[in-house]
Amino acid sequence: MSNIKTLEPRKSQASEIDLILRNLMSIQGVSAAAIVDNDGLVTHIHRNLDINTDAIGASVQIVFGAASKSAKHVGHNVTNVVICENAEGYILTAPIESGFMLALVTERDTLLGRARFELKETLPMLKKLFASHL
Amino acid sequence: MHWFESQLATLDQLALAYQNSQKQPEAADIVNISEDIRFKRNEFITAVQKLVDDVIRVEGITACAAYHDGLILAYAGKPSDVDALGAIIQESIGVAKQGTASLSLGEIEQIVIIGASNKVAMLNVGPITCCILSPKTTNLASALS
Repeated sequence: MSNIKTLEPRKSQASEIDLILRNLMSIQGVSAAAIVDNDGLVTHIHRNLDINTDAIGASVQIVFGAASKSAKHVGHNVTNVVICENAEGYILTAPIESGFMLALVTERDTLLGRARFELKETLPMLKKLFASHL
Repeated sequence: MHWFESQLATLDQLALAYQNSQKQPEAADIVNISEDIRFKRNEFITAVQKLVDDVIRVEGITACAAYHDGLILAYAGKPSDVDALGAIIQESIGVAKQGTASLSLGEIEQIVIIGASNKVAMLNVGPITCCILSPKTTNLASALS
């Protein structure tokens, strides 16, 4: 059986990923929704303010890496979501597939439960899209 | 069925439709499934926000909020501390679950805490918990009818 995939489905999957990020951006207070690869590089992003894309990518991987290591140290095994609470807002990160991560940058007034709900509910489909995309 | 009950029934249907959309067969078109799930989730969340906005217009209601896993999802009015209320919900549901198991009450539908001056009603709808805050004297059943 051939492993070669036609470009058309890949294109529609990529645009679906784009729509998912756009949907996440529609949540009140969300200022950026990004997908970061294993090396900390941003592969997809939607944002409404001047965020340093490279900084997001690197910090997401560092914070998630540190959090998942500490979770293992205390016997919590797999890390599903990391919520970083800052003076001016939150950064939510969650692993997708093959080292890819979904990150949401929000303002302080965002409804944290709404952002987390959307993030968690979006993940299973993103995992499927990435599994078939890669 | 009175007004609030019918609103909850609609929300339940939307939650069920969303739940069902996630159970579509693996082999089906993944992009269309993703779009369908997103659409159904947006419908549900929009309905939750609308319910919260509608409830707060009722006389005698101080605030209305919706929570998921104890974190705020939508609110209207003036809840004194949204984070504290979320924590109380989680705590109350945990305690109530222990009680329902030993008393064989079934799935928790409502929890009401009545204080000396105010009260809070918590209602489970799909994956969320809807909270209504009001003065103790408010008769919620007739106010929401």
